[in-house]
Amino acid sequence: MNISTRWLREWVSPDVGDIELSEKLTMAGLEVDQIAPVAPPFEGLVVGHVVSCGKHPNADKLSLCEVDIGTGELQQIICGAPNVKKDLKVAVATVGSVLPNKLKIKRAKLRGVESNGMLCSESEMGISDSHEGIIELDPKAKIGDNVRSVLDLDDQIIELDITPNRGDCFSVLGVAREVCVNYDLSLPELTFKAAQKGKKSFKSSVSNPKECPKYLTRVIEGVDNTASTPDWMAKKLQRASQQLHSPIVDITNYVLLELGQPMHAFDLSKINGNINVRSAKKNEELELLNGQNVNLSEDTLVIADEKSAIAIAGVIGGMGSSTLESSTEILLEAAFFEPVAISGIARSYGLHTEASLRFERGVDFNMAHQAMERATELVLEICGGTASEINETVDEKSLPKLEPIEISIDKISKVLGFDLDSSWVESKFKFLDFDFKKNQDDSWTIIPPSFRFDIRIPADIIEELARLYGYDKIPVQRLSINANISKASQAKITSNDLSNALVHRGYQEVITYSFISNEMHDLVAPDSKKILLQNPISDDMAIMRSSLWPGLIDSAKSNLRRGHHNLRFFELGLCFSGIEVEGQIQKIAGIISGNRHGAQWAGQDREVDFFDVKSDVEALLNLSKEVFTFEVADHTALQMGQTAKIMKGGNEVGWIGAMSPKLQKKLSMPKAFMFELTQSEIEQGETPSYEAFSSFQASQRDIAIVVSKEISSDELIHSIRSLKQNDLIEVNLFDVYEGEHIEQGSKSVALNLTYQSKEVTLTDEQLAEKVSKIVGHLETKFSAKLR
Amino acid sequence: MDLKALDDSRVQYLGKKGELTDLLKGLGKLSKEERPKMGEAINEAKVQIQKLIESRKEELEEEILNQRLLDEKIDVTLPSRNSEKGSLHPITQTLNHIQDIFTKAGFEIELGPEIEDDFHNFSALNIPEHHPARAMHDTFYFDSNTVLRTHTSPVQIRTLERQKPPVRVIVPGKVYRCDSDVTHTPMFHQVEGLIVDKEASFSQLKGLLIDFLRAYFEKEDLKVRFRPSYFPFTEPSAEADIECVICGGEGCRVCKKSGWLEVLGCGVVHPNVLKAVDIDSEEYSGLAFGMGVERLAMLRYSVNDLRLFFENDVRFLNQF
Repeated sequence: MNISTRWLREWVSPDVGDIELSEKLTMAGLEVDQIAPVAPPFEGLVVGHVVSCGKHPNADKLSLCEVDIGTGELQQIICGAPNVKKDLKVAVATVGSVLPNKLKIKRAKLRGVESNGMLCSESEMGISDSHEGIIELDPKAKIGDNVRSVLDLDDQIIELDITPNRGDCFSVLGVAREVCVNYDLSLPELTFKAAQKGKKSFKSSVSNPKECPKYLTRVIEGVDNTASTPDWMAKKLQRASQQLHSPIVDITNYVLLELGQPMHAFDLSKINGNINVRSAKKNEELELLNGQNVNLSEDTLVIADEKSAIAIAGVIGGMGSSTLESSTEILLEAAFFEPVAISGIARSYGLHTEASLRFERGVDFNMAHQAMERATELVLEICGGTASEINETVDEKSLPKLEPIEISIDKISKVLGFDLDSSWVESKFKFLDFDFKKNQDDSWTIIPPSFRFDIRIPADIIEELARLYGYDKIPVQRLSINANISKASQAKITSNDLSNALVHRGYQEVITYSFISNEMHDLVAPDSKKILLQNPISDDMAIMRSSLWPGLIDSAKSNLRRGHHNLRFFELGLCFSGIEVEGQIQKIAGIISGNRHGAQWAGQDREVDFFDVKSDVEALLNLSKEVFTFEVADHTALQMGQTAKIMKGGNEVGWIGAMSPKLQKKLSMPKAFMFELTQSEIEQGETPSYEAFSSFQASQRDIAIVVSKEISSDELIHSIRSLKQNDLIEVNLFDVYEGEHIEQGSKSVALNLTYQSKEVTLTDEQLAEKVSKIVGHLETKFSAKLR
Repeated sequence: MDLKALDDSRVQYLGKKGELTDLLKGLGKLSKEERPKMGEAINEAKVQIQKLIESRKEELEEEILNQRLLDEKIDVTLPSRNSEKGSLHPITQTLNHIQDIFTKAGFEIELGPEIEDDFHNFSALNIPEHHPARAMHDTFYFDSNTVLRTHTSPVQIRTLERQKPPVRVIVPGKVYRCDSDVTHTPMFHQVEGLIVDKEASFSQLKGLLIDFLRAYFEKEDLKVRFRPSYFPFTEPSAEADIECVICGGEGCRVCKKSGWLEVLGCGVVHPNVLKAVDIDSEEYSGLAFGMGVERLAMLRYSVNDLRLFFENDVRFLNQF
């Protein structure tokens, strides 16, 4: 909310500057986003009277004026504005004055004719962007007066960012109350009272008193809505960022800003019969003041006449019953609507109005009467007319209950961590308009004022005291030591362990959005469940990722486009297979592309291949002591024949492989290799447990066999290991050969077996027997032939 | 002369058929009187020659070594092999930094789901349906009851559902708001903190957060101020500002001329939140705080555009 300090100070004016005042408000919880003067500094502008205005002899578009600036001597000034004319009151920048744009006014000759000053536009004075013509001052302005004071330019606008709990501060009165509480000042009581000479009564009824406990109307006849809104009011409205309309509407807006009570004025002649406040009917329609046609929903509270709805309660009026310039008979409305009844209604129609803003947060339910008197007073003053009595429908039992709140000094000290003085507390209660009573046991019973919807429980009162005491003055203490010792397992492999392993292998971590495009989902993981956002930012961010690959591929693509070809990226993050907690799975994935190393002096470079990415994955898997296997498998996003599923026991842990040529083509990607692992499957390490090592010599035996190409090396090794042969401590595959001397469809595999006993040195005979058992096994199981 | 020539000379004089050996062999032909004299002279000569040869040999070997050193000289300033550089994302580095500070103060790390239900994200945090605070959140929805979490605060609830006080946790994680412009990304990171204990007061919260901010920015006299604010799940609520680390409090574009930067929100846990997880707010009180990780990263690493964090440009990533 924007509020001018001039207006605020009409209500309460503490003896401090505007800047200091705004800092105080910020520190009291009404955050000042900005404080800005309405006009930049300038001096030397005075009110002038255009005595004569004729054509410049040498220029068509310039006027030659004689201007009286109260010095007794007429000034000859040349002006290019189209609106300059005789008898206008103008703002004259006299010779020697400096405008906000640093322009210094000098005596000058324009097209051969002397000019002693300049007639200014609003933009030249820095008060608006309007430069269509010079500013036309009030005809009553006194010649020679300082323009700053005539236009009241020594004012500042405070831009307040009011939190949702402080609905009471959306008015000058509300902010003035805050100022009072902070400076120990008091506001005068509100005593608005308008003359009441009319006799026209008007009937209104409320069908939903719980939602509208209070509804006030008043008829004013014989108003002149063609009158113009007075300058003082227009200025205040504009400085509060309100647009000007007709005087009647301006007056209701003014009262809203001044007292925080939203009001509405109907054109009485357009209302059919009596008014009833009720829920909207099925299929009821209404054309709103902003021109929008809406289909009302049945949970919407409306103001209706005997024919149809004429306004959405607490939000906006209808077009049909609105006041126009020609209106002469008006019905003013001031009501209290329950915040809960109004909440969300405006938003459901795509609206956000000054009225809904206030009603949603809570409007003082004792303000309607005062506001009605205030508005009437202003209407009579500005538009004339005769006001009749106020018609009031109140359901006392539906008004908000102001229940007593108990709070003790001990509770205050416990929460804040220090002691407050009881007499200070009571003095603040007084300035807060709390109705309080001290009890025997150093506690108070408090009834909050009707405008404070945020004071309902003891914590609310503690907060008031804390902010008025000043958060900055609250002493600083250390936490007492009551911390739990961390139960984290030493063996657990953390996200950081995994990340660091990859960083040390040259990977860069990326963070990508968790939502991806439909296209990417279909390309990378078409079989996983599509989890759609109801209200995505865009189609490209509409589906929750089920894999980290789309984000990694996008990162790779955008960097390739910028000319970076050797890429290694990884990401850790949640992937989604469902909206329930169990469906949200942390994964770690990577992509590599380009050359193994950057261009290097020390030797030939080569493109990355499957075994590069496999060694990176093994670096992660080896952090744990568990056994993982790579199984030949197929994946939509990966190239057939260069894809493996990573398994732990019978569980799928992840995938590794080359990006499928199809995907490459679709995405215009070069050759790339990717992996993805489910973090929970690889994070279980093992606490080391020492085992005595053998002091006997280890022996190595090599065997070379020929088997079918279809048999994977993992199968061979696991099959040998599964024999659980005594003293066999390692099996290593050290050569694979296909080609000459080997039958088509077969391959030669060389294996190195390491034997070591803990009790003896094994003899050649013992070793030979063990090796022959293994060869025999391979012959039976894989039809292997010893070379 | 090289080692070979030197060895030839040795053989020539001292070898089995060398000249001195021959002379020694010829001693027998000499008279009894001459023999010892001659023998002594020959041996003397032999020792001399041997010495000379030895020293010459050393000289030659030194020369050879020097030559080898010259031959084997390399440009040690050439780049090493395999010097590609990996990096952790600046957000991860910032999270690690924050986590380190708090875990040293006895905080445990808790994580939670990113797709949340209405209860954990809103209701339990004292944000009932139609509360104006919901409008501030720009929530992504899956259905009327399921959202992308708008803050890390739901993990406060999940932690308290699982664990009895005393509780002292921080919660790092991704959060989502339906908002995208120069200063907003639809996904960003927060770190939430929660303490629930018998004696936990607002002044302790102040002390903890001042200590944290000074540790994070590594500036012992960093000015920190607390302002009243509003969050539905804390009361009293505060926002903490630090003196602008860009201009030192003088006023600049980053701090909008105020000299202060808002860095975190905090407060005493609202009694309704404790009630939602069956904790007696008369016995226990809670302290909570939350901070935007991107903001802290931007200030610490002088990053001037939020969107850089999610563009993953290697020219950006390389700098961390």
